[in-house]
This record gives sequence, structure tokens and C-alpha cells, in this order.
Amino acid sequence: MIFHRHLRRNAIKLEGQRSATLDLARGRLVLISGFFVLVYVLFALRAFDLTIIQYKPISSAEDLAQLEQGAGEVVAHVPRGDVVDRNGVLLATTLKTASLYVDPYLISDPQAAAKRLSAIFSDLKYGTALQKLQSAKRFVWLKRGILPDEQYKVLEIGEPGLGFRYEERRVYPQGSLLAHLLGYTTIDNAGQAGIERSFDGLLGAGGGGQDLALTIDTRLQHALRREIEATIDEFSAKAGFGVIMDVRTGEILAGVSLPDFDPHHAGKAPNNALFNRLSLGVYELGSVFKIFSTAALFETLNVPMSTTFDAREPIKVGRFAINDYHAEDRVLTVPEVFMYSSNIGSAMMGQAVGATALRDFYRDLGLLDRLDFEIREVTKPLVPNPWGEVSTLTASYGHGIATTPLQVVAAVSSIVNGGYLVKPKLVKSDIVPPREEVRVVSDKTAHRMRQLLRLTVTDGTARKADVPGYLVGGKTGTAEKSVAGKYDRKKLISSFVGVFPMDAPRYAVFIGVDEPKGTKASFGYATAGWTAAPAVQRTISSMVSILGLEPKHIVAEQDIAAPLKHYIAVKGAH
Amino acid sequence: MSSTVKIYSNQTIWDKISHINWGLFVLILMISGIGFAALYSAAGGSFSPWAARQMMRFVALLGGMFVIALIDVRWWYKLAWPIYFIGFAMLVVVEIMGHIGMGAQRWIDLGIIQLQPSELMKIAVVMVLARYFHAATLEDMRRIPFLIVPALIIIAPVGLVLLQPDLGTSLMIVMAGVSMFFMAGASIWLFVAGGVLAASSIPVAWYLMHDYQKQRVMTFLNPESDPLGAGYHIIQSKIALGSGGLSGKGFLEGTQSRLNFLPEKQTDFIFTLWAEEWGFLGGCFLLFLFGVVFMYGPWIAMKARHNFSRYLAMGLIVNFSLYVFINISMVMGLIPVVGAPLPLVSYGGTAMMSALIGFGLMMSVHVHRDSKVTRV
Repeated sequence: MIFHRHLRRNAIKLEGQRSATLDLARGRLVLISGFFVLVYVLFALRAFDLTIIQYKPISSAEDLAQLEQGAGEVVAHVPRGDVVDRNGVLLATTLKTASLYVDPYLISDPQAAAKRLSAIFSDLKYGTALQKLQSAKRFVWLKRGILPDEQYKVLEIGEPGLGFRYEERRVYPQGSLLAHLLGYTTIDNAGQAGIERSFDGLLGAGGGGQDLALTIDTRLQHALRREIEATIDEFSAKAGFGVIMDVRTGEILAGVSLPDFDPHHAGKAPNNALFNRLSLGVYELGSVFKIFSTAALFETLNVPMSTTFDAREPIKVGRFAINDYHAEDRVLTVPEVFMYSSNIGSAMMGQAVGATALRDFYRDLGLLDRLDFEIREVTKPLVPNPWGEVSTLTASYGHGIATTPLQVVAAVSSIVNGGYLVKPKLVKSDIVPPREEVRVVSDKTAHRMRQLLRLTVTDGTARKADVPGYLVGGKTGTAEKSVAGKYDRKKLISSFVGVFPMDAPRYAVFIGVDEPKGTKASFGYATAGWTAAPAVQRTISSMVSILGLEPKHIVAEQDIAAPLKHYIAVKGAH
Repeated sequence: MSSTVKIYSNQTIWDKISHINWGLFVLILMISGIGFAALYSAAGGSFSPWAARQMMRFVALLGGMFVIALIDVRWWYKLAWPIYFIGFAMLVVVEIMGHIGMGAQRWIDLGIIQLQPSELMKIAVVMVLARYFHAATLEDMRRIPFLIVPALIIIAPVGLVLLQPDLGTSLMIVMAGVSMFFMAGASIWLFVAGGVLAASSIPVAWYLMHDYQKQRVMTFLNPESDPLGAGYHIIQSKIALGSGGLSGKGFLEGTQSRLNFLPEKQTDFIFTLWAEEWGFLGGCFLLFLFGVVFMYGPWIAMKARHNFSRYLAMGLIVNFSLYVFINISMVMGLIPVVGAPLPLVSYGGTAMMSALIGFGLMMSVHVHRDSKVTRV
């Protein structure tokens, strides 16, 4: 046995050393034991400290409620921050609401209490209430989120077992007005969409519940929403969307996506309503893109306005042909191509610019990359890949390329504001955005584009968008929706981007309508000139009175577009 | 001398049973009984889901404890190394499987029971060290080369346990091992040097720690910084203890059990639940029981006639007490939350099993204490 061998070996050790070992071992044993006993004494002292010295009874239900919320009174609770618009109008806030619970042990007359409770709350049945009042537990929820007068009536019952716990509810005083941009929260006040999600850290307790101001002007938001809603109703459209942007800063003054939803009950909203069409939807916006291809033409080739394009024959590319919707059937100058929205002419412009240059120009305008925005519901545009000859032609009049409406409005703003790139902004910043940072087009091109946009409203496809005295310019876009790989002539996205005043542009107003249907009043037309352009016109009319903008009445010769009249053929061809 | 051994081998089973330390057994029963009561309360006054299963487990493991107690301590001396290597092999297996699992893979699933090799390893390290130091003289203990092997005995499994990663268990193995060095008579300076080395390695350890472990330390230093997150346990535990007062709220009256404030109330925070319902007096009573159990360690060690038995009994009680210390310190907010159960009281089979195996071995030392091998 190994054991014995060791013992034997030990046995021949010197007697003195052996006892020294033994003494040491015993001594150390006592030392360790002493140490451990000391630790137990320390524990007893700590227990005394925690249970007797720091004694704090949990007696009331209020204490319990605090305990359940976790922190007790260790930290002061921080409510979620408010969101306001640019003028301080409250858009989102946090309200304390009462929830009713019962401690059945303290209920003296359950039957009477249940009867009165079921009378106060229509959705609380007598049987359910009685069951809860007689439950064996000591904490049962009866009803969460009750109204102040309901709370008053409950207090009148006078049962000591009925108690309230206060919870915080996110409230949106404007209802669904800003549902998509503002977003919504869960019942526990965690941001789920829009600003509530992307600025969750700042608004929430972690960020100290800071308040946040948006660039939105609630008054303009009302006006824009009203006009889009009216347009959807009038033309029986499926959906609509619109933006009002400050062209100098990119600030969004209003942003609407319809149908929308009640942010207090976002969970019940259908996906179609939750979908943010402004930043998450991509659309082929059609002729609105002629703003970009024409600007590219000026920018890359610096051609004069008098340059002509032969729009008599459709351009045949492969198996399909490019036709004109508002066919003029003649040789057109640049202003004519633009104001009559000739697809053939624009395609030829794109051809002249060249595939690479056009694509680079679009990229500079931010049309080819994922929308850079302050909410997270953003997406990438659908861009032709590879970008070949055909893509260049179609992209010149806004087909074969699908972008978010916000990108398009920001790109238009970047051109008309004098040529400085702006990005869509939703959060108000005290720091004045640095202008003249990135130039996308020259002053000269910017000026020419303002002239063309104005001309389209005075003499072209968007005459229904004019607001006398405010020098509105703009461009219509009527795009056939691509359904199962084919363009459907009946299903349109009709949009209009208006800018005003054209001599010194301040605001861009964009409205798009999804699948409008022609009416008697529009002679069956559902094109942008009949749907979106009048909606923008009405929006601008409201805007100028809301903002108190003075009209400028000038004679026709002073109009910014007047010099272009020279390049337009005398009436008759139209 | 071998004849002496034979005499003890011939000790009848009834002799042995009469020598079992029944006082220690009663203490174990009382502590476990407190555990059952606390688990009954944790379930809101119900035997399911915890108390009933814990009781069945306890009865089964108690049988194992007696079997271990009746096996001659010399067998345990012989088996020390095999047990150590089996435990080590299981740790390696866990480490390999751990890469497949998530987070911490500390278990081997044997189908019927789940085994945590690191628990077994705690006992195995104590056994092997006791065996190694058994033959050591004071001179041996002062020679550094002699101490290399026992150091490796500790380091090898600790390395694997650290990889799992289980910092708490690693530290407990190291502390139990170091205490064995101390008892066997290693130079005091060795411990001073070790202490300095440990202190200076804190930055390195911090770097190697998992995020959740760092979070626990940070939360310990300032639990109020994250009252709803990582600081939740400590704050809730202190609130509960503070609401108990001198004599507590009474059985089944603790708010913790009623409203589920305290996560892990049936495992790591069972002491809190007990002290909330029974107050300062109840908490101190449980601490007192643990203290008396501890005193059985040195008492059994003192009566043992040879070093292996002495070191084994002392190492095992130190191991058990470290468990208690870490758990109690944690719930009282004296150290960071490390996730260690309170042995015999917390719900769970593994901790109970390793505690009862340890007591079985201690009893074996006690039963076979009157070894006539006087010339140790």
C-alpha cells in the first residue's frame, strides 16, 4: 500500500522535526480557523448593519409599486423627453397615468365594490371584477391607464384595497399628423420608429430625458396633409406623400405619408399605413428627373438654350421605343423640351451628356446612394446596374431609376438654391448649417434651371400650379407604375415639385399621388398637371398666408422666365 | 503496522456507523431544512416547483454521503490521483464542447444528471494536495522546487475553468489550494509575494475579463449607476434585507416571494429571502449554523492522526466555507455579484452534491480517525 510506504518513510524522520511540523500545522490550523470565524463575525455585523441600522420597512402598496419598478427611490425617475416643432408646438410628451390594482385582503365588501367598478368601466364585467377582488393574491391589476374622472369615481367607492400605480404614457397631441416622422414607442416607452427610435438614447432616461426640437412647422404640416388627403379623395388614389423643404438648408418643414396611423395604437395599424413613403418608399418619379438631366446638360456641355433636339421620331432602343406623352412632333429647343416634358428630347440630352457623366452627376446630387437621414426608416434607391446606354436614356426622364421622394426634393433644392448640396434635415439645430460647402451646379446653371422651372408653370405642363404674386416654378412627373416587369398605362405615380419664389427660391413643395384615377372635372386625366400640380398650388396658397409672405406683383416682362419666351415657337404647335 | 491497518479494516459496519459524526449530520439537516422552508416560501407557499425536488435530491445525495463516509479514508488516499485525472479529463471535454455551446459551457450532460466537472475538481484538488503534502516535511515545504508540482496541480484545472469561462470557481479553487499550502507549512513570505503578484496582475485580469464580468465589478463599485440593469440584484437584495428588521416579516410574508422582485431568489439570493422573512435573528441563526459546521473542520482535523486526513478535512471545510463566504458577501453587497449558490440552501443539485461529497469525506476522516499509526 502506497499509504503505508509514505507512513514508513515519515516514521524514520527525526523526532524533533516531526513535532515541529506538527506544531506548525496545528498552529496554522488555528490561524485559519480564527480567520474564518472572524469572517462569520463580520457577516453578522454586516447583517446587523443591513437589517437593523438600515432598517426600512416596506409597508404601503406605494412602496411595493416602487419596488416593482426596480429602482425604488434610489434614483429619481427621469421621464422621456418632449418633442416639439420649430415653433415650440408640442408634438410628443409623456403623461403620468393611473392604473388601478386591488389588494383583495383589504377589500371589505367585494360584491358591492365589483358592482360599482363594473359601472365605472364598461369593459370590466361584474364577474371578472369580483373574481379579481376575491383572488388569493395580494396584488391584482384591475385596469391600466385609466382617466382622471374614472380615478375619481374609484376613489368614491372608498375601498382601502383599491390602489393606483402611476405609469408613464407617451402622448402625441397632434395625433396621426406626424406619425411617420415622429414614430411611436412601446408601452414601456421604448422608441420603435421615426424620431422616437433614432433619438431613443437622447429622449429616454439614459440620455437624461432631453427634449428635442424638429424642423417641422406644424401649421404647414396641417396644410400639406390636408391637400394631399383631398387629392387622394378626389382622384380615388391609393396613397399620397409630400414634403415642404427649405431649399437653402434642407430643413423639412412638413412631411406627409398617407395613409397614416394613430401613433397611440401603432400596433393595430396595417403595414400599408405604417409604411413611410417619404424615406422608405422608392418610386420612379418620371419627368421630375428632367430637372436633373437638363441641369447635367448645362453643367457638362454648357450648351445655349437655343440648342435643339429632334423629337419627331420616337427613339428606338432594342425592343422598345421612347415616345412623348405631350407630343409636339417637331424639333424642340431646350425650354420646349422642358416645358412640354418631351421624353425624346430629354433622352437625347442624356445621350449628349453621356452615361458616365450623367451617372456621376446623379450621384453628386445624392440620388444613387442610401438616403442619409435622421430617422432609420430609410432605404437605398434602385439604380440600374450596369448603367448602360439604355439606362442613360431612361434615367434622363426618370424611368428605370427609383428613388425616395425625400432624395428627389433635396436634389431639386440643391439645384435651385444656387447649386449647393443640401441634405434632408428633420432635427432643428442651433448651428446654422454651413452653406456653400459642396457645389453641385454653377450659379449659371442654377439660374437657367430656375428660368425653366418657372416657364413650365407659366407656359408649360404645370400651369395649374401658379399662385399669382409668388413666382411658382416647378416640374410635373407622371410615371407609369411598373407592375410585374411591365409598365401599366393605367397605374400612375403623378407628382409635382414646386419651388417658390423663383427669383430667390426659399421653399420646395413636393406632392406625389399613387394611382390617381381621372375624374369628370379633370376630363379623365390623372396626370401630374391635373392632380399633383393643383394640390401644390393650394398648399402654397395656404403656406404664404400662414407664413405671412408678401406677394410681388410684377409685369410679365420682368418675370424670370421672360427671356426664354424667345426660344418658344409661337402658339399653334400645341 | 500493517496489522494495525487490518484491525481498522475489520472495523464492523456498525462500529463505523456509530462513529459517524451525527452532530455534523444534524447541522446539515438543519441547514438544509432552512433551505426547504425558504424554497417553499420562494414559490409563494408551495412545494412545487422547488422545495419538493430539492428534498428528494437531498435524500438521495445523503445516501451517497454516508457511503463515502463509510469507505476507509485510505481508499480515498489511493483514489486521489485517479479522481483528479478523471475530473481533469472531463474539464477538457467541457472545454471542447464549450466551443459549440454558448457563453459558459460548464456542464456535462450525462443524460440522467448534469455534472459540473469544475465542482468535482474543487474536491479533487483538495484530495491530491492533501496527499502530496502528506509526506512533506517542514524542510520540503521550504524548498521552492518541491512546491512546483502542487502549484501545477492547482494551475492546470484553474486554467481550464477560466477558459469556460468561470471566474468564481477558478478563484475558489485557487483560494482552497492556497490555504492547503498555508496549512502544510509553506513560508509566509511565499504568501506575501503571491499577494503582491495577484494585486499587480489586476490590470491584466481586467483586460482578460468578459464584458459581463467587468460590468459586475463596475456595478459593485457603484450599483446605483444602473439600478434597472446590472445593479438590480444588489439594490433589490439590500432593500429586501433592510426591510426585514430584527425578527423579519414572518414566514411567507416576504415581498420578494410575493411579487417576484428578486431574480434568482431560489438560487443565489436565497439568503436574502430567508433574512427578509426571519430578520436579523433568522439570518444570524443560519450564519451561526454555518459557523458551527465550519468548526467541525478544525475539530476533525485536530483529532486526525496523520497529515492526509488532517489536510483533507481542513481543505474540504475551507472549500465549503468559501462557498458560503462568497455567496453571503455577494448578497450583502460586500463583493460583486459572481453567481455562486449558498451550499445546502440554494436550489440546485450540483452545489448540494459537492457539499455532501465533501462532508462524506470529512466524516470518513472522522470515522477512521483513531488510526493507531502513531509514527506519522
